[in-house]
Amino acid sequence: MKWELRPARDLGLSPMDRLRSQGREAGLGSLAAQGVWRRMVRGYLAVAHRLVVEGRENLPPAPPYVLIGNHSSHLDALTLCSVLRGAAARRGYALAAGDFFFSSGASSAFAAYAVNALPVWRRRTTRKELNTLRDRLVEDSLVYILFPEGTRSRDGEMAKFQMGLGTLVAGTPVPVVPCYLEGAHKAWPPDARFPKPSPLVLRIGKPLHFAGQPNEKAGWAAIAEQSEAAVRALIR
Amino acid sequence: MNGTLAIPTAPPGFGRAFEHPVTQGIVIATVGVLVAASLIILALQLTHRIGPALRKELWLRTGAWGVLLPLMLGPVLAGREWTIAAVTLLGIFCLREYDRATGLFREYLLAGVVALGILLVNFAALDHWYGFYVALWPLMGVLIAVATIPQDRPEGYIQRVGLATFAFMLFGAGLAHLGYMANDPGYRPLVLLLLTAVALNDVAAFTFGKLFGRRKMLPATSPNKTIAGALGALTTTTLLVAFVSGPIFAGTAMEPLWLRLVLGVIVSVAGQLGDLMLSSIKRDLGIKDMGTVLPGHGGVLDRFNSLLLVSPAVFHFLRWIMDLGAAGPHRLITG
Repeated sequence: MKWELRPARDLGLSPMDRLRSQGREAGLGSLAAQGVWRRMVRGYLAVAHRLVVEGRENLPPAPPYVLIGNHSSHLDALTLCSVLRGAAARRGYALAAGDFFFSSGASSAFAAYAVNALPVWRRRTTRKELNTLRDRLVEDSLVYILFPEGTRSRDGEMAKFQMGLGTLVAGTPVPVVPCYLEGAHKAWPPDARFPKPSPLVLRIGKPLHFAGQPNEKAGWAAIAEQSEAAVRALIR
Repeated sequence: MNGTLAIPTAPPGFGRAFEHPVTQGIVIATVGVLVAASLIILALQLTHRIGPALRKELWLRTGAWGVLLPLMLGPVLAGREWTIAAVTLLGIFCLREYDRATGLFREYLLAGVVALGILLVNFAALDHWYGFYVALWPLMGVLIAVATIPQDRPEGYIQRVGLATFAFMLFGAGLAHLGYMANDPGYRPLVLLLLTAVALNDVAAFTFGKLFGRRKMLPATSPNKTIAGALGALTTTTLLVAFVSGPIFAGTAMEPLWLRLVLGVIVSVAGQLGDLMLSSIKRDLGIKDMGTVLPGHGGVLDRFNSLLLVSPAVFHFLRWIMDLGAAGPHRLITG
C-alpha cells in the first residue's frame, strides 16, 4: 500500500501565475470547460473542414506520448488535440508560444481553461521550466502536442525542426508520434484573421522512440533530424 | 414560544433584515471595527510610524475584510435562500482548495461525487427536509466508498475514499448546518453571532497569546498557538456569546444563562479545534497556506476553518435544547 499525498504542482501560485505555470494541473472545473471546448472544436472541424484522419491506429494505446507536426496555422494544435480520446484527451497539453497566448489575462484564461495549453517562452524558456515539462510528461503520464518548427510557416512550406523536442524526450521511453496536417495553410494562413472552410487531412505516422539518445546537444540534434524526416515522409 | 427564535414581524425587505436589535448591533459593530482599523492604519501611515511593507500588508488584510464582510453578512441579511446559497458556494470553494492541496483533485470521479454531495445536502437544507438532510451523511459515505470500485483500481483505494469522506464530512454535511439554521424564521441574529464570534475567537487567541503567551500548546501542530491564547479566547468568546445571545433566545428553552454559557464554550472550543484541525492537515501536507485568494489570509479554508466544526456542534446542541429548525413548513420544494 502506497500512501501518497501529492499537492497540486501549482499550489500556492497566484491565479495569474497559475495560468502561466508549466506545472498547472486541471481540476474538475477546467476538465468540464475543456471537455465542452473539445467537443465544439471536433464538431467545427468535421463540419467546416471535413477533417479526414488517416493512421489513427498509430496512436499509442495510453499516455505518455508526444504528438508533433508541421505548423502553418492556428488550426494545427486544435486539430491534433481533437484526435485524442479518453485519458489521452484529458491529459493532452498543447505547448504554445507564451508571448502570443499568455500575454494578457483573458487570453491566458482561454489558453488554460479551453485549449489546455502550457506556455513555452521562445528563446527564454529556463532550464527549470524545461525540466518541469520533461518530468511531468512521464510522472503525470501526459500527452504533449508541439510543433518543432517553433513558429507558424509563413508560406506553407515546412521549416527545419528545432532541438527543443529533444530536451523533453531524449533518453526516455516516451514515444514521439509524427503527424502531417494538409490544407491548414490554405484554410487559415498567418495573415488572415479568420479561417475559411476548406478541407483538412491529418496523417498520423508510426511512433518514434528515442530512449537510446543522450539528453544533450548531439541527441537533441539527432531527434530533431529524425522527427523532421518522419513528418516529411507523410507529405503526399 | 419554544422551537423557534423570535419570528420577524416586519414585511420582507430591508426592514425585516435589520429588525432584530442584535442584528443591528452586530452589523454596526463589525462595520465600526473595520472603519476604526482603517483609520488607525491611516493615522500610523500619516505619522510615518510604519514602514511601507507593513503598511501594504495591513491595507491588504483590511481590504480583504472589506470584501469578505459584505459577502458574509450580506447573504445572511438578505434571506434564507441567499444564506444557503452562500454556504453552498463556501463549501465548494473549500472543497476546491482541499482537493488541490491533498491531491484528491486527480480523482475526478470522487471529487465530482463529493461536489455532488455538497450540492445535495444544501438542497436538502433549502428544501427544509430534515430526514433527507441527515440521511445524506451515511448515504454519501456509501456512495464515496463504492464510486471508484468499478474502475478496478484497488491501489490507493483507502487513501482516496478516506480523503473524500473527510471532505464531505467537513464541507458538505458539517458546513451545511450553518445554512440549515436559516430555516428558523429568526435565524439572522444567531447566524451573524456565530460568524462574528468565530472571527473574534481567532482574534482573541492571537491577542492573548501575544500579550501573555509563554507555554506553547501544540508546538508540532501549530507553533504560534499558546495556552494563554486558548484560555483567553475561551473566556472572551464564552462571555460574548452568553451575553449577546440573551435577547436572541429570550422566551425559548435556551434562555437560562448557564445554557448560553455552554453554547459559548462550544463555539470557542469547536472554533479552536477547527483551526488546529486545518493546521494538522497543512503540517501533514507540508504547506503553509491552502490557497492565495484572500491577500494576507491565504485561502478560503485558512479563513473559514473555525466554522467547519462550530456549525454542526452548535446546530445539534440547539436542536437538542430548543428544537431549532424543527418548526414547519417542511419540504418546501419536494412537497
